[in-house]
Amino acid sequence: MGVMSAVAPAERYRAISPAEFFYKYREIAGFSNPARALYQAVREFVENALDATDSHGILPNIKIIIEKADENREFYRVTVEDNGIGLPPHVVPEAFGRVLFSSKYILRQTRGMFGLGAKVAILYGQMTTGRPVEVITSQPNLRRIYYFKLRIDINKNEPIIIERGSWRKNRDWHGTIVSMTLEGDWSRAKQRIKDYILRTAVVTPYANIVFMTPDGEIYYYERVIDKLPRPPKEVKPHPYGVDLELMKRIRDSGSFSTVKEMLMKSFQGIGSVTALSLLEIAGISPDLSPKSLNDRQLLELVNAMKNYKRFRAPTSEALSPLGEEVIKAGLKRIYEPEFVEAVTRKPSAYQGHPFIVEVGIAFGGKVPLSNDKYPTLLRYANKIPLLYDEGSDVSTAVVKEDISWDQYLVKLPAPIIVLVHICSTKVPFKGVGKESIADVKEIRNEIKLAIQEVARRLRVYLSKKIKEEEKKKRVVSLAKYVPEIVRALTIILGDGQGGKAKLLEEKLVEIVSLRTGLPKDEVYKVVRSVEIGV
Amino acid sequence: MAISSVDKYARQRSLEILRKKFASIAKRILEGKKPVLIMPKRVLSNTIYDMKKKLLLLGPEMKRRSLLDVNEARKFMQTLLMASIIYEALVNDEYPTIRDLYYRGKHTISYRDISGKMHHENTWDEQRESDAVIRDIEVFLGVLREEMLILSKEKGKVVGNLIIKSGDDVIDLSKMGHGAYAIEPTPDLIEFKDIDAEFVLVVEKDAVFQQLHRYGFWKKYKAILITSAGQPDRATRRFVRRLSEELKLPIYILTDADPYGWYIYSVFKIGSITLSYESERLATPDAKFIGVSMTDIFGEEEAAKNINKLTSIFGKEIKDAISKPRKKAYLSEKERRNYIIKAKKKDVERAVELVGYDVADKLISNPEIKKYIRQKKLGVSGYPWFRTPEWIKEISIFFSKLAKLEIEAMASKGLKFLADTYIPTKIETGDWID
Repeated sequence: MGVMSAVAPAERYRAISPAEFFYKYREIAGFSNPARALYQAVREFVENALDATDSHGILPNIKIIIEKADENREFYRVTVEDNGIGLPPHVVPEAFGRVLFSSKYILRQTRGMFGLGAKVAILYGQMTTGRPVEVITSQPNLRRIYYFKLRIDINKNEPIIIERGSWRKNRDWHGTIVSMTLEGDWSRAKQRIKDYILRTAVVTPYANIVFMTPDGEIYYYERVIDKLPRPPKEVKPHPYGVDLELMKRIRDSGSFSTVKEMLMKSFQGIGSVTALSLLEIAGISPDLSPKSLNDRQLLELVNAMKNYKRFRAPTSEALSPLGEEVIKAGLKRIYEPEFVEAVTRKPSAYQGHPFIVEVGIAFGGKVPLSNDKYPTLLRYANKIPLLYDEGSDVSTAVVKEDISWDQYLVKLPAPIIVLVHICSTKVPFKGVGKESIADVKEIRNEIKLAIQEVARRLRVYLSKKIKEEEKKKRVVSLAKYVPEIVRALTIILGDGQGGKAKLLEEKLVEIVSLRTGLPKDEVYKVVRSVEIGV
Repeated sequence: MAISSVDKYARQRSLEILRKKFASIAKRILEGKKPVLIMPKRVLSNTIYDMKKKLLLLGPEMKRRSLLDVNEARKFMQTLLMASIIYEALVNDEYPTIRDLYYRGKHTISYRDISGKMHHENTWDEQRESDAVIRDIEVFLGVLREEMLILSKEKGKVVGNLIIKSGDDVIDLSKMGHGAYAIEPTPDLIEFKDIDAEFVLVVEKDAVFQQLHRYGFWKKYKAILITSAGQPDRATRRFVRRLSEELKLPIYILTDADPYGWYIYSVFKIGSITLSYESERLATPDAKFIGVSMTDIFGEEEAAKNINKLTSIFGKEIKDAISKPRKKAYLSEKERRNYIIKAKKKDVERAVELVGYDVADKLISNPEIKKYIRQKKLGVSGYPWFRTPEWIKEISIFFSKLAKLEIEAMASKGLKFLADTYIPTKIETGDWID
């Protein structure tokens, strides 16, 4: 009995491979049902494609193809092509075939988190259809194009290469084409996917995006500007944002000889003086080897860093805001609004994490009518559109509660869109769905200030427009009588003066135009539209 | 159709004025100047009571009706439209009525707004609108509509020992049977041929006119009997004025004993607010209010009761006028109970308008009515021609009794009483308000 009880826990806590873990808990990554899975797969590959291009200074050309892959079953082949930096051939099997391999363990703003999603998509496709993933890639400096057909060994968490090959480039191509097949539900997913791509297109006016659907539709969003957002730089973490896990990873990296050196080289804003005073607070000798520190000591150090008041604010170099020009161009490309303005706020921080809020407002044109409570909201986090859970998002709270729209002459419902982009090295998402942002005081305040700033410009525009319309209305209320007046005067002046009708009309139009400031042809337009009934 | 030379001359003159006035508007336009019509203001605030002439006259204030003023543009258009219709009628030797003009000018103007939406607008909707435009043209041109040969519905009637010439016919107004001669819209074209009468009695009510006519009142008392059938039209007023001015006959007006009756009298005597530009021609300053007066109903002692309440407003003058009751009521207590009618809120309101809020407030004791007029009419100062001792005496009884009476009630006491006692006594004893 004693032996049995000693053995049982070992069985219960059998280790599982990360690949198996993610397959079992695929809901976390958004693959809970065929519709959601198809949508999620498209998202993951499109985001990787954009990260491979705009983050590296390349104007993106992205092509997305979804096609039916089986006559009887709901299998869909998803192909995403980009013109990005490509992958070195030797990392391709690892990059697509081993869960947790990623280039994104660095601290900078990226779209995907650790490249996890693409692999879960591949896993999901493999489990539902049994078909492998195909990858074609080349880097700008390489002379060959490489081809792989892969699957993942779930138990071992290893890539299995089914086929590989390469051929010489005869044109200057670089980028990646990923193609995979999964069980999906196009009819239920199509609205989400179209929305997602449209909203992506709003913030990527510098990208050509082609999207071909299984229904044979082709959506083409043509590039309208050549300006890319500033690519994010890699930065060291700020001490305010540190936690025990990060500290352990740094300790275990083994690349520093003393604790002091570890602090100075791993964090932004820590020089020799600061390092020494932090270590004094934590009661740790500066010359100790990091490896000798136990978890309790690390915790002391974390607390000392968190309570230290004199750090400089975190650097925002790691952030890549869209920029006002990009936001305006993007809103224009999709909605052709009569008014569009945008603002990128100065960097700010919450809990040691830098963030930037950007807001764009489009009004009129092809902007759809909003509801009657608040404007249509387009939410983005690190350039990714957020489509769901709008009700619990901090931006929703701001447009509903913090802004009184009639103060800006907006009478809801109105053709108005408010775009809110939050970029941060750590976006405070609510829950695992990552579709809404938590109500963090500092962020809420920045969103409010940004919206107010743009809305003030909208008010200036609208008040001008209202005045202009009133002027036009005034002109109509005068000009509509011109023909009747001319007719009456001509009768009284008698037949001999009948030829004066045209001259009288001309002069009256001139007088009305002069007194109201509206051009003569506008006045004429009204006068010519008049029909006098008998 | 033979057109009289009087007509022809009137037409020619009106045409010339009209053409000249509007040609100057056209000239302004061609010179690039603001198209404006400058005309006297036809509003209460620009109506002046001329104490000396005892007439309501149009004041000196002018209004500028500009096409470029959003609030005036429609009226500007209407004025020109109406002018062109009148012009055509004059040229074509027509005699349109004001209703004809309304229909001739009524049509739709269709236009598109800036957004391209089609709108339809009537040049005018109700005749009230086009009638007002005609009055504007009268003051703008300084030409009366009768001179432009515009007709209106005949309303006034007359009988009596009077022979007139109308058009080419000679008419004896004593030979109308049970009917009467309808006073034509252009009374200036009537010629008085022969007269055998001593006074003119104008009765507000058509029914009473008919009763007196059949009773032979005008034969017996050598009267010209006229009815305005309610508010007098311009023709009736002009006709009465001519009888007074040209034939030197005394004019007596008999109306209901209520604020409307009093106002009808004042229209005959001094003119109306809407037509104050016509008073010089239409008003009859010598007309006398013969009844039915409040003192005829209640006696003068009733008025004397109110005297103390009024001295604070009018001083000693009012005391002299009404403190000594001489006249007894024509009606007994019992008859009063049967004939008088309780005044309605609207009657009281009208009376306040005539004599002023201060008087009403002092005299009305009914708390509900008092409160009502306080809300509605505070600040109303009354017309000066009704703030005379005689009228205050009359109206004070109305306020303290809140009662009114129709002339028919006097006839109900007996037509004989009305015709042979009431009216002759009033005239003989000079018991009227001038």
